[in-house]
Amino acid sequence: MNLLKFVNLYGAWFFLALIPLIILYFLKLRRPKMEVPSLVLWQSVVNDQRVNSPFQKFRRNLLLLLQIILLCLVILALMQPFLKSEAAVSEYVPILIDCSASMSSVDEATGKSRLDLIRDQVREQIENLTGNQQISLFSFAATGRRLTEFTNDRRALLKALEKVQPTDLPAQLDDVLRMAAAYTRSFPIQKVTVLTDGNLPERASFELPFELEIKRVDAGGPNVGITEMTARRSGPTEWEIFLRALGSTDDLRGAELEIWENGEKTHSETIEVSLEEAERMVIPVAADKARFVEARLVPAGFDSMKTDNSVWLSLPAARPLSVWIAPKLGTWKRAASVLENVTLEEGDAEKPKGSDYDLIVADNAELESVNAAVKVFVGVVPPDLAGVIEVRDDIASVVDWNRTAPLLRHVQMADVQMGVQPAYLTGFGVKDIEDRGYEVLADGNAGPLLLQKREGLQVSWWFLFHTDKSTLPFRVGFPIIMANAVDASLRQASLSEIAAAPTGVLPGVALQADRDYVVKTPDGEQIATRSNAAGTLLGIPAAKVGKYEIMEGTAVVSAIGTGLLNGNETTLKVVEDLKVAEADVKSEELDELESDQPIWWPLAAAAFAVMLFEWWYFQRARGSVV
Amino acid sequence: MTETATRFTSLFDNSTLSQIERMRLRPLRRLTNRARGEHLSGKGGSSTDFADFRDYAVGDDLRYVDWNIFARLRRPYIKQFQHEEEMHVVLMVDASTSMMFDNKLLLAKQAAAAMGIMGLHNVERVSAYAMHSQDGKPWMLPPGTGRTRIRQLLQFLEQLEGGGNIPVERAIETMLRFHRGRGVAILISDFLSFGDLARPFNLLFSSGLEVWGLQILSDAEINPNVQGDLRFIDSETQETLDITNASELLSVYHDQRLWLQQNLDSMCRSRQGRFLSVSSSMSIQTVLFEHLCRQGWVQR
Repeated sequence: MNLLKFVNLYGAWFFLALIPLIILYFLKLRRPKMEVPSLVLWQSVVNDQRVNSPFQKFRRNLLLLLQIILLCLVILALMQPFLKSEAAVSEYVPILIDCSASMSSVDEATGKSRLDLIRDQVREQIENLTGNQQISLFSFAATGRRLTEFTNDRRALLKALEKVQPTDLPAQLDDVLRMAAAYTRSFPIQKVTVLTDGNLPERASFELPFELEIKRVDAGGPNVGITEMTARRSGPTEWEIFLRALGSTDDLRGAELEIWENGEKTHSETIEVSLEEAERMVIPVAADKARFVEARLVPAGFDSMKTDNSVWLSLPAARPLSVWIAPKLGTWKRAASVLENVTLEEGDAEKPKGSDYDLIVADNAELESVNAAVKVFVGVVPPDLAGVIEVRDDIASVVDWNRTAPLLRHVQMADVQMGVQPAYLTGFGVKDIEDRGYEVLADGNAGPLLLQKREGLQVSWWFLFHTDKSTLPFRVGFPIIMANAVDASLRQASLSEIAAAPTGVLPGVALQADRDYVVKTPDGEQIATRSNAAGTLLGIPAAKVGKYEIMEGTAVVSAIGTGLLNGNETTLKVVEDLKVAEADVKSEELDELESDQPIWWPLAAAAFAVMLFEWWYFQRARGSVV
Repeated sequence: MTETATRFTSLFDNSTLSQIERMRLRPLRRLTNRARGEHLSGKGGSSTDFADFRDYAVGDDLRYVDWNIFARLRRPYIKQFQHEEEMHVVLMVDASTSMMFDNKLLLAKQAAAAMGIMGLHNVERVSAYAMHSQDGKPWMLPPGTGRTRIRQLLQFLEQLEGGGNIPVERAIETMLRFHRGRGVAILISDFLSFGDLARPFNLLFSSGLEVWGLQILSDAEINPNVQGDLRFIDSETQETLDITNASELLSVYHDQRLWLQQNLDSMCRSRQGRFLSVSSSMSIQTVLFEHLCRQGWVQR
C-alpha cells in the first residue's frame, strides 16, 4: 500500500502563514467604487438564496480561496511529500549498470539500445530520490567501475549516468560485486540492484553479503556475429583461417562474410546462421608475407549489434624456427634435427652467434641473457636458486609431473631414473622456489626436477638434472619434449597458430626493450606506454573492437586487431537464474524501478497553474470594471 | 425667433403639447368627486346622455319617470342619465436622488406634465406633489382645475429639482395628509425602496384613488454593465454594498428586477390600478403615444 510521507515535516509550520494571508486579504481588499441610484435591487441579489449557497459564498471570495489553495500547495510541495513504495527502500542504493557489448543491441522497432532503456529507468529513479536516499552508480562489463560515490546530488548522478556508454566487452559480474561489497563496510547496504539485459555469465563466484536484485530489460533484436577467429599454419607458405559465426535467433539469418587482407577484399561468401546452427568456415591465406586480415560480416537483414561483425587478425610471414643447441647436448640436437621448419645453427661454438633466437637449449646458466622466446637449460640450477637447491650424487626418480604443462604434454615420465638428485637445502621448500617466480613441473623424491619460469612473453625451462645422466633420452617422451619445446617456440613466434585477440586487454607484443611507444586505439585515442626489460608491451587496455596501431614516434611498428569474439554476447542469451556462489538469483523483467514516488512537483505544477489562473482572473476582473 | 423661445414649455415641444391636449385619461373605476366636471360618473346624472333604467322608489323625482314604459307595463321606472363629475388627478413625481440618473427625472416630469395637462383639459382637478424631502411640508401644487392651471402645473414641474432621500411610501403618506378627493393617483417613480409599498397603496385605495404606477428605470438599472469585484454606493443614503464577481450575479439581478416589477404590477392591479415600467432612454412621445395608449392609460 502506498503511504503518503513527508521528507520535511517541519514545513507544516508554514501553514501558519495562512493567518496573515487572510488578515492581509481583508485589509488590503480594495474594490472599485460605483455609485448606483439605489441598492435595493443589489441588496436583493445579495440576499438571494442562490447567491448565498455555500458554493456561491466561495465564489464571492474566489481570490482569497485561490490564494489559500496556492499557499497550501506551495507548503505541501515544500514538505516534499512522497508515496512510499511497496518495496522496502534502502537508504543506500548501489545500482550496477551492465555496459557489456550486448547492451548496445537495439530494437528493430524503436532503435533504442538496451542501455538507453536502462538509462531511462535509472534517470527516473534518480529524479525520484527522496531526501535520505543516496545512490551510487557502478558500471560493469569485463570489469567493474564506480561512477559515483553514494550521493543524493541529482545533477552529479545524472551527469555520471549520461557518461555511461556500452563497451565492446563481455559481461562479468564478479568484479563489480566485489566493489559493491567493499562498500558494505562503510555503508549499511541491504540490497544491490543490477540492471542488465540478462546477458550475463551463468555463474559468479562471489559470496553475497547483501540481497542481489537483478532487473533486466528485453534482449535486443536479431543479431549475427563472428564468435571465433583463429589461424593455423597449414604448410610452409599457407595459413588457414578458421571462422565461426552465430546468430541469436532460432531462424536462419543470412549474411555475407568478407575477408579483407591489408585493406583489400580477397574473399566473400554467403552464410546462414542461427542460434543452433553455427557456421564454421576455413579460408586459406598465403603466408608469404605479413598480413593484417579482417573478417567482416555484412548481415542481410536487421542486425541489432554491430560490434561483433568485424574481427582482425595479424598474420606474420612464414619462416623457419631459429634454434641454437649447445654442442654438448647431442641428444637434443638429434631430436631437433628431425623436426620440420626448424633451422638449427651449425657449429660447435659454446655460445650462439646470433642475437635473436626462437629457441635455445643450453647447459650453461650464463646463456640466460641470450634473447630467445623459449630457453631450455639442461643440468643447470638457476643462479637465483643456488641457495635453495643442491644437486647431490644420488639416484633420483620422478614422483609426479604436470601433465598439462606445454613442455610435458603427452610425455610419460613415470619410470625415468636420474643419476643425480636435485634436492632442497635444509629449511627450504617449494614456497621458496615459487617466491622467486619458478613453477615446479616435475618433482623428484628429494626436490624439484624441472622448473618453469615466465618473464613477459619469454619462457624458460630448467632441467635441474642433466638429461644425459638419466634414462630420459632413451624414453619415447624425450623427442616429444623436444617437439613440445619447438611447438611452444612456434607459438611464441606466432608461426604455428594465432588466435584473434578478444577485447579487454591487448595480448603482449614483443618489441624493443625499454622503449616508449604510443598505442592508437580504434576511436583515435592515444595511449603512451613503455615496453619492459624483456621487450614486451603488456597491459594495453582494449575496450573497443578494431585495429590498434603501436607506434614508435610516427612509425607504426605493429598492429593488432581485436574482436568481441564472445558467443554469449553475440547470441544475446538471457540468463534467468544466475548462480552466485551457492545461491540462485532470479532475474526479473524490468518494468519500472521501485522507488519512492515524490509528488512535490505535481503540487508545484498545480500551484503554478493556480497562480496563472489567479493572475488571469484578477486581470480579467480589473479590466472589466466600467 | 428660435424654436426654444416660442415653446410653451421646456418639457416638450408644441406639437407634442397639442397632441397631448387632445388626449384624456382613462380611469378604470371612474372614482369622481361630486363637483361637476366633464368626467362621466357611473351614477345617474343630469346630463342629456341616457344611461339606464331603475325601479321607482319612494321619494324619486317624478320628472324622471318614463311614462311611455309606465303606459305599457303599468309599473314606474326611473330614467337615469350619465352624470359628468369632476375627477381628481394626483400627480406624484419622485424627485429623489435616485431619479437623477440618466434623465429619469426629466421623463418623470414630462410624463407628469402630460397627464396633468390631459386632466386639466378635461376639467379635472389636478394636484402635483414632489417626492424629495423628508422634512416639513412637501413640495406640492395644490389641487386646481381649468386650463389656466396648465401654466402653473408646467412651472411647478419645470422648477422641480432632484435631490433628497425620501422613500416612496413615506412620500405617499405625507401627500395623503394634504389631499382630499377621489380620482387617480399617478405615481411616477423608480419604486426602488426598501420599504413596504402595500400599506401606502392601501391608503391611496381607501382614499378613493386608483393607483397608477409608472416606473422609470435607467438603462444602467435595466441592463447593468458591471463585472468584477465592486463596492456599490447608494446615491441617496451613501450606504455601501460589496459585490464580488458582479457579472456572475447579473442573472439574479434581472430576476430580482422582474420580480419587483411583477410585485408592483400585482399591487396596483389588486387595487384597481395600473402599472407600467419604462426606460428613461425612451422619449416622452414613445411613452405617451405607444406605451400608455396601448396599455389604455390614455385615450387619443
